[in-house]
Amino acid sequence: MPTHESGSTAQSIEEYIDPRLKPLIKMPESPSERPRLIGNKCKFCKEYFFPKRVLCPNCLKEEGLEDVLLSHRGRLYTYCIVKAAPLGFSAPYAVGYVDLPEGLRIFSPLTVDNEKELQIGMDLELFVDKIREDETGKTVYGYRFRPFSI
Amino acid sequence: MRTVCIVGVGMTQFGRFKESNVIELGRIAALNALRDAGIDKKDIQVAYAGHARTGQLYNRECGIGQSVLWELGISGIPISSVGNFCSSGSTALRDAWMAIGTGMYDVAIALGVEKLTGRAGKGRPLTSDGVELLTVMGFSPPVYFGNVATRHMEEYGTTKEQLAMVAVKNRKNAGPNPRCQYRDPITIEEVLNSPLIVEPLTLLNCCPTTDGAAAAILCSKEVAKRYTSKPVEIAASALSSGPYKKCKDITTFGADRCAGKDAYEISGIGPEDIDFAEVHDCFTIAEIVHYEDFGFCKKGEGGRFIEEGLSDINGKIPVSVSGGLMSRGHPIGATGLAQIAEAVWQLRGVAENQVKGAKVAFTHCAGGFQDTIELGDVQSSAVTILKRGW
Repeated sequence: MPTHESGSTAQSIEEYIDPRLKPLIKMPESPSERPRLIGNKCKFCKEYFFPKRVLCPNCLKEEGLEDVLLSHRGRLYTYCIVKAAPLGFSAPYAVGYVDLPEGLRIFSPLTVDNEKELQIGMDLELFVDKIREDETGKTVYGYRFRPFSI
Repeated sequence: MRTVCIVGVGMTQFGRFKESNVIELGRIAALNALRDAGIDKKDIQVAYAGHARTGQLYNRECGIGQSVLWELGISGIPISSVGNFCSSGSTALRDAWMAIGTGMYDVAIALGVEKLTGRAGKGRPLTSDGVELLTVMGFSPPVYFGNVATRHMEEYGTTKEQLAMVAVKNRKNAGPNPRCQYRDPITIEEVLNSPLIVEPLTLLNCCPTTDGAAAAILCSKEVAKRYTSKPVEIAASALSSGPYKKCKDITTFGADRCAGKDAYEISGIGPEDIDFAEVHDCFTIAEIVHYEDFGFCKKGEGGRFIEEGLSDINGKIPVSVSGGLMSRGHPIGATGLAQIAEAVWQLRGVAENQVKGAKVAFTHCAGGFQDTIELGDVQSSAVTILKRGW
C-alpha cells in the first residue's frame, strides 16, 4: 500500500480517500504543497464553515459563500483513545477535536507514536493517511492530524 | 395550559430479551399502565409512541404505536410515532401533555419502546444514528463522551475515581429495584479495572445495551379525580434542540441548559426544591455534567458533588435513585418514560429505593449528535418536573 510519506503521487492517494470525505480534501498538486481541508466562508458575516454549507445559516444568502482552503495547522481541544473499535477500525486509535484558526472546532482522527504524547493545547498538522478498512478489507484514507513542532 | 396529571404508569423488566419482540414489550408496558390507572382502554383518546432505533430493526420506520395498541384493542384514535433520539419517550410524554394541556383531549397514553439487542456486535459500541461523516472517521457515542471526560478532567480536575463513583452510586441505587438490568454492587476498583472502551471511560462507565418499554396514562386534572386519589402533576415539560455555537464548550450541553431553564421557569420550581432527579447518565461523565448544567452545583464542581455524596440517596439532591441508565439499562426510546414511571412511584411513596417524603421529581433525557464534523451539541434534551397533585 503506497503511503503519502513514501512519496507516491497525490493522485494515487486520492483513489483511496473515503468517497464521503473526498469533497472535503484538496490534495497537493506539487511536492511543495500540503493537503488542505476545503471549507467555505460567508462574505457577509465572515463566518467559516466546514464541511461547506450551501446556505449561510446566519444570513440565509447562497451568494455570500466562497470556497476557502482552511489552515493545515490547529490545536488539540480534547481527545480520547478508542480501545473497543467499531467494525473496520483497529484499536487502539486516537480521535479528538481540533481547533483551527478560522474559528472551527472539528473532529479528526489523530496520529501519535505514543498515546502519552497527546496533550490538550498541543500544536497539530493536517495530513492524509489510512483511517480504516472498508467491508471488503480495502484500505480507506481520510484526513488526520498529528503533532507538529517548529 | 390546564394542569395535566399522570394517573397510571407501567414498564417491563429492563434487560436483554432475545426472545421478545418490540411489540410484545410495548404491549406489556402499556397494559401495566392501563391496569395501574384502572382505566378502560376505550377512554384513551390519543396516543404517542416514542422509539428511536427500533424502526430499522423491525423493518418499519412508522407504526410501532399502532401495532402495540392494536394488540390492546386501542384503535380508531390518533396515534403517532415520536422519534427524537434518546429523548423519544420523554418527547412522547410532552406531546401527550400538550394535547391535554391545550384542551384538545382529556386522556392520552404515552409509550416508549426499544429493542437494542441484536444491533450492536458483542464488544462493539452501538453506532450513532446517522452522523455518517463522523462514523467513517471512527466516531461513536462513547467517543463523544470520552472527549467530554478528557476536557472536563483537564479543565476542572475531575478524576477517574469521581467518574467511577457515579457508576458505584447508581448500582447501589439499583440494588432494591427489580426492573434494573444490573443490580449487584460494584466497587470503584472494579469500575476502574473493567475493560477500557474509550479511554478514559471503562466498560462500567457506560450504560449497557438493553431492551424494554414503559408507558404513562395522562389526564386533565379534572378527569384524573375519576381514576386516582394520588394524581402526579406535570409541573413542566420542556424540550430543546442543541444550540448551534462555534467552538462549543464540550463540558456543557446547551440543549440541557435550554430545557432545564425552560422547565424551571414554567414550573416555578428551582433546583433547591427538587427532592430527587433521574438524569440521562448514559456515561458517568454525563451525570457529572448534568449536575452542573441543571444547577445542582456550580460549573466545574460536578466531580466534587459526587465525591461529597451530595447526589447519594440521602444527599442534597439524590440523583438516579432508580439505578439510572447505568444500571436499569437504556432502551433508547423507552428510557424517558421509564424515568417517569420510577418518578411516579417515588412520589406515591412506593418505590423500592424510596427517597423519604419525595414530593418533587426532576427527570431528564438527552441524545443525538449533530450530523456534521464541527463539534456540535446534543440534538434533543427533554426535562420533566413532576410533583404530588394531592
